Amino acid sequence: MTADSAIADRILTALAEYLKRDKRSIGMDYSLRDDLGLDSMATIELLFKIEEAFDLQIPDQDLQGLATVGDVIGYVERRLKPAASAKQAVKASVKRSRTRK
Amino acid sequence: MAQRVVITGLGVVSPIGIGIGQFWKSALEGRSGVSAIESFDPFPIEGYRSRVAGRVLHFDPAQFLAPAQAERVDRYAQFALVAAKEAVADSGLRLEMERPHRVGVIVGAGMGGMVMGEREITQLYQQRKPHRVHPNFIPVITLNSASGIVAMQFGAKGPNLTISTACSSSAHAVGQALNCIRNGQADVVIAVGADASITPLVFAGFCSLRALSTRFNDRPASASRPFDRNRDGFVMGEGAGALVLESLSHARRRKARMYAEVAGYAATSEAYHMVIPREDGTEVAATIRLALKDAGIAPSQVDYVNAHATATPIGDAVEIKAIKDVFKSRANRLLINATKSLIGHTLGAAGAIGTIVSALAIETGQIHPTVNYDDPDPACALPGISKSVQERPIRVALMNAFGFGSNNAAVVLKKLSR
Repeated sequence: MTADSAIADRILTALAEYLKRDKRSIGMDYSLRDDLGLDSMATIELLFKIEEAFDLQIPDQDLQGLATVGDVIGYVERRLKPAASAKQAVKASVKRSRTRK
Repeated sequence: MAQRVVITGLGVVSPIGIGIGQFWKSALEGRSGVSAIESFDPFPIEGYRSRVAGRVLHFDPAQFLAPAQAERVDRYAQFALVAAKEAVADSGLRLEMERPHRVGVIVGAGMGGMVMGEREITQLYQQRKPHRVHPNFIPVITLNSASGIVAMQFGAKGPNLTISTACSSSAHAVGQALNCIRNGQADVVIAVGADASITPLVFAGFCSLRALSTRFNDRPASASRPFDRNRDGFVMGEGAGALVLESLSHARRRKARMYAEVAGYAATSEAYHMVIPREDGTEVAATIRLALKDAGIAPSQVDYVNAHATATPIGDAVEIKAIKDVFKSRANRLLINATKSLIGHTLGAAGAIGTIVSALAIETGQIHPTVNYDDPDPACALPGISKSVQERPIRVALMNAFGFGSNNAAVVLKKLSR
């Protein structure tokens, strides 16, 4: 499993838990509102969970672009890429400092 | 026959002025009371998505209240007391001469004593010393602390109530004051709305609801933009409004100045969603129709609407949809403004302040500007909304207020024939 599909899987699992339905029944092209029945408040609650799970802050203006399941997954993947590489850099520097000791 | 009810006194504490004179001058000038929040010490403001609010800056309780009074209540109740004192003085009533059980107080408050509430909760959880919780904590955070202190100030021993329906709280305070006098329970009711909860926790909560404006943090005065295409949520405000309502016969007997008659009121629930209005506007329209029916006024007689208009993308469009539905072609001839464009959304105070603005519109024939209405949203645009002051004799005014919990209110004011 690649890193990206791991993100997709975590989001789908969270969504399935929230909606109390089988995650295999949720398509990437499903509209949060029209297909999954999430109103704006439910979407905000879902994103609140995703922010916690992935240690993200999602600005209000980004919400407009998050209409489908695929939009949310793509958004989180894009947001995590620079953070992941930054984390690796931190790990590397920690390693270096340890080796210096 | 039921008593007719009139407004004989006004008082306000707002981000654009403490006192009706300063408030109304600033409102007509289109001055914004929204400013940047520099910090929520000790929390860095960067942790908040919205960083602007309509705050009452430089409010010194000692200027208006005795120390013993001021220290006993939270900021929202201090605001309520200051506004009520002004309203009673303005009415010319000598309450000590009234029969005390015929004078009531009805306060609308959404959040209540959150300044002390947050401080005490934080201290308890940090220090873990239950015996150090302040003895005044319970009386201060109990939601009727404002209606209690206002009654004590004036010796008002009649009905004493607190209404908490979030953002429509004080529209109901005015409406219930009307019913209280109509029903013969009181001759005079001081109707107040107050909230002061721009606190670290409550403000964060509204940020998390994604209800607040976040795109204008660097331009605070532009952040509250009802009906504008670029509106992106409301700006939190704080303040209080107070109105003295009394029976027409009581006011006539003492030759009181009368701003307007409170002619009708409606209270409804959409029974729909905690925070989202029905997008077709049918429930808001039903509320307006009920209020007009209660007032015995046809839609064709209404001149002015003080809109709820908080500047959320959905809310403003729903309200205008409802106005078009009720008023049909008359909607194009109504004057409409949004007081929240000037001071932000004062939550529990909004209905009282909106009613004050409506009374002043009837009294002066002046409609304050809706600031930041730069690029009219086609979903909200009506010819009677303007960035400038509008002047026209106003005979009938409608004031709308809608609250979380699926709650709606509408109040109708009418000019008294002299």
